[in-house]
Amino acid sequence: MNADILIIGGGIQGCATAFHLARQGASVIVLEKDYVARHASGVNAGGVRLLGRDMAEVPLSKASMEMWQTLDETLGEDTGFRRKTLINIAADETDIETLKAREIRMRAAGYAHERIIDRDELRAALPHVHPSCVGGVTSELDGHAIPYKATSAFRRAAERHGAQVVEGAELTSLRQVGSTWIARTPTGTFEAARVVNCAGAWADRVAMMIGDHVPLSHAAPMLMITARLPHFAGPVVGAVSRQLSFKQFENGTVLIGGGAKGFADRDHNTTRLDYAKLAVASKTAIDFFPIMKTASINRMWAGLEAYMPDNLPVIGPAVNASDAYHAFGFSAHGFQMGPIVGQVMADLVLTGATPYDLNAFRIDRYDRKTL
Amino acid sequence: MMIFDCAIIGAGPAGMSAAVLLAGTGLRVVVLDRGAGAGGQIFRAAANSPLTDAGVLGPDYTDGAGLIAEFERSGVTHMAGADVWHVGEDGTILFSHDGETRQLQAREILMCPGAMERPMPIPGWTLPGVMTAGAAQVMLKSDAVVAENAVFAGSGPLLYLIVAQYLRLGVPVAAVVDTTPHENYLSALPYGPSALRAWPMLRKGLGLLREIKTARVPMFKSATNLRVLGQGRASGLAFDSKGAQQIAAQHVFLHHGVVPQTNMTRAMGLDHIWNEAQQSWQVKTDDWGQSSTPHVSVAGDGAGIIGADAARSAGRLAAMNIAMRLGEVSVADRDRWARPDRAALGHLASFRGFVDRLYAPVPALSVPQEPDTLVCRCEEQSVQALRDGFDAGARDPNALKSLTRCGMGPCQGRQCGPIVSGLLAQWRREPIGDVGYFRLRSPQRLLSLEEFSRFQTITPEAGE
Ligand SMILES: Cc1cc2nc3c(=O)[nH]c(=O)nc-3n(C[C@H](O)[C@@H](O)[C@H](O)COP(=O)(O)OP(=O)(O)OC[C@H]3O[C@@H](n4cnc5c(N)ncnc54)[C@H](O)[C@@H]3O)c2cc1C
Ligand SMILES: Cc1cc2nc3c(=O)[nH]c(=O)nc-3n(C[C@H](O)[C@H](O)[C@H](O)COP(=O)(O)OP(=O)(O)OC[C@H]3O[C@@H](n4cnc5c(N)ncnc54)[C@H](O)[C@@H]3O)c2cc1C
Repeated sequence: MNADILIIGGGIQGCATAFHLARQGASVIVLEKDYVARHASGVNAGGVRLLGRDMAEVPLSKASMEMWQTLDETLGEDTGFRRKTLINIAADETDIETLKAREIRMRAAGYAHERIIDRDELRAALPHVHPSCVGGVTSELDGHAIPYKATSAFRRAAERHGAQVVEGAELTSLRQVGSTWIARTPTGTFEAARVVNCAGAWADRVAMMIGDHVPLSHAAPMLMITARLPHFAGPVVGAVSRQLSFKQFENGTVLIGGGAKGFADRDHNTTRLDYAKLAVASKTAIDFFPIMKTASINRMWAGLEAYMPDNLPVIGPAVNASDAYHAFGFSAHGFQMGPIVGQVMADLVLTGATPYDLNAFRIDRYDRKTL
Repeated sequence: MMIFDCAIIGAGPAGMSAAVLLAGTGLRVVVLDRGAGAGGQIFRAAANSPLTDAGVLGPDYTDGAGLIAEFERSGVTHMAGADVWHVGEDGTILFSHDGETRQLQAREILMCPGAMERPMPIPGWTLPGVMTAGAAQVMLKSDAVVAENAVFAGSGPLLYLIVAQYLRLGVPVAAVVDTTPHENYLSALPYGPSALRAWPMLRKGLGLLREIKTARVPMFKSATNLRVLGQGRASGLAFDSKGAQQIAAQHVFLHHGVVPQTNMTRAMGLDHIWNEAQQSWQVKTDDWGQSSTPHVSVAGDGAGIIGADAARSAGRLAAMNIAMRLGEVSVADRDRWARPDRAALGHLASFRGFVDRLYAPVPALSVPQEPDTLVCRCEEQSVQALRDGFDAGARDPNALKSLTRCGMGPCQGRQCGPIVSGLLAQWRREPIGDVGYFRLRSPQRLLSLEEFSRFQTITPEAGE
């Protein structure tokens, strides 16, 4: 099979890239070794968060946030997106100091989407928060979506524009002969002029096939969801310096995250949970919100996620090959970035340029460091 | 942290027999069961029945007291009320006991989780007043609670047993609606002669049918097109059997055979296979019950439906192999010990083949046919909702779960899992074995966040 562009990986980055390319008339094939949204993009916490982003990511994240507000209409599909205030709780005065220092940097860069709140405002928004919490920071543009739905929404919209998604097709070899990329999978060979690496936790392997080296690691962040509870939390909740993160959905279930990691075995597509760490996350949730004592855990799981040493993604062209591009390593916050990454990648592939500064996301940013 | 040579989960016939055998070798054995007493499904509360005359439940039931007594004398550590919610491949077991999450480790793990009833998703099966016949039996065995003038519908030996137990207690039964198709009697016929080798079992079954007949309970045969009647609560059952029939009843008890409980073995990531003859998923084991993870074995109905007598033999065989793996007996001794139980299993297998054929599940009763029939009770997903998800590209059970939430509720997919695989097989026109099943995780059931928050791992020490 031939196409103009071959995308490796059917997560949100691959599907969003396929959508933006196909919409502009390019012929696109997406190769996915399992099925679309099988990994991080289908099992994540669904947080669509601009609050607390690394400064380097803010421009992309802001643009993505705007795209999320109307994404259902753009794609003609339900992504499950709900706009919802996000509050990161400050547990003590040290947290407030951290927030104030960040505010100065944010204002200097011209950003105004984050706002520090005091104890009273915190308690008004979250009446069940532990009384010892001193305040927090909030962003009102934030929200959440349903990961599997959002990723498949991009996939279906891409397909409507003619993109082909091939599931169960693992890329096992990739080489560039002249101006053609030849990709082998157990089910067949594919050829294209350009290739985009959106292979998530496996992206360093695809990068190597392209010729680029990258210090990518992978891990298995864990989540728990409770049975339905009476509504007690409107905003999405995080914390400035503690491993606390949860949101209550419309159906009353509460999704608890917090960043604790289990064990990742990417060769077998599996993860194992670390129950001792999940128990600590349960304790943290109850410490901050005593009402959670009444909750029951219904399911616990983990997903395979790709991490860069600086927790910033790789977005941009390959350095050791022509006509190859990368978008991976989102370090546990890439779901929110999906819509803009798709657009940036399409721009890069079709025009060679993008209005965004991608310098912080170069694949060779670690090459230049001396030992 | 408690450390044992072998941990057995489930104190039914399989688990108890295995424990008794292992205790005899001097190994340190722990048996965990969520029940307040040992016994499992068949011998539930057999040692302390709330009924004034437990004899009416039949000699099989009262025999249980003997095995339970032998088990309690054997010297194994029996933790009653221990609800296992996680079994790790590394041999770590997490369970709730007296409101605390506790942890133990074992070199070998033997899982004997038993069976559950096959879901029977006919229209209206989720209405209040509808239960499985097995659930009705649990209420009878544990709490001596019965429902008068109920309709029993479906097929299989357990259905007839429960009806007979009701009748012996003098509880009136409105009707038995038997869904066993007429053709099954013909297709089972060739298995009849070999089933005769297990004559006592066959006689037991025929005896139950005779009891029901003598009691003059209306019996409808080869019934099809079953629908529970009622708005908001069951008011009866409609079906076809020599013409359209309708029976008014406040309680409808459904039963369509039993299938292995695979949630725990699945959550461990053990290999599973589709058993075509029994139309059910089961964990893959060798003939010692050893799974795809060598230090994990599975025995009894939890590894493929074999019945209580065979479960005892299978439990012992697994125990012999575990004793061998732990260096207590030689391979030759294990094989020699195994002979009587292997012979017993051989006899019972011929009977099982006959029963499997005669009471083969009816596709129309295992996989719902009407678009608005609910598949997932927890998340209230209908056949149509799943079909829409399938049409939107979710062809895999897990993709369909992610899209529709079917299987995400507190029952952990126990009810809808087999139905979803069945529906997808139909829509994909592929064998169910290729379609696969939900990917499952611990916990096995709802776990209190408060209880879990107090859990701390302790570094292993030698000894208890
Ligand atoms: C509802 C029902 C009623 C039945 N009644 C009869 C009957 O009356 N007569 C008959 O011949 N057959 C009956 N059967 C068939 C039955 O399964 C027997 O064949 C026999 O009990 C199988 O023995 P076993 O040891 O394999 O499993 P079981 O006897 O089912 O024992 C399994 C045990 O494991 C325990 N367990 C499972 N999971 C966990 C966990 N996560 N944590 C802790 N404990 C756990 C259960 O509490 C149970 O005690 C019944 C089956 C069902 C489903
Ligand atoms: C538990 C968890 C919670 C998270 N919570 C959030 C959150 O709340 N908010 C947020 O913004 N982000 C969150 N994230 C991060 C977010 O999910 C990821 O950053 C994002 O989904 C990454 O998308 P992706 O397309 O790069 O990767 P993936 O979704 O992993 O997709 C990559 C795909 O490539 C395929 N692939 C790999 N190698 C090959 C090959 N050789 N051939 C063919 N196909 C291949 C894989 O099978 C995979 O499907 C979370 C992640 C996890 C795991």
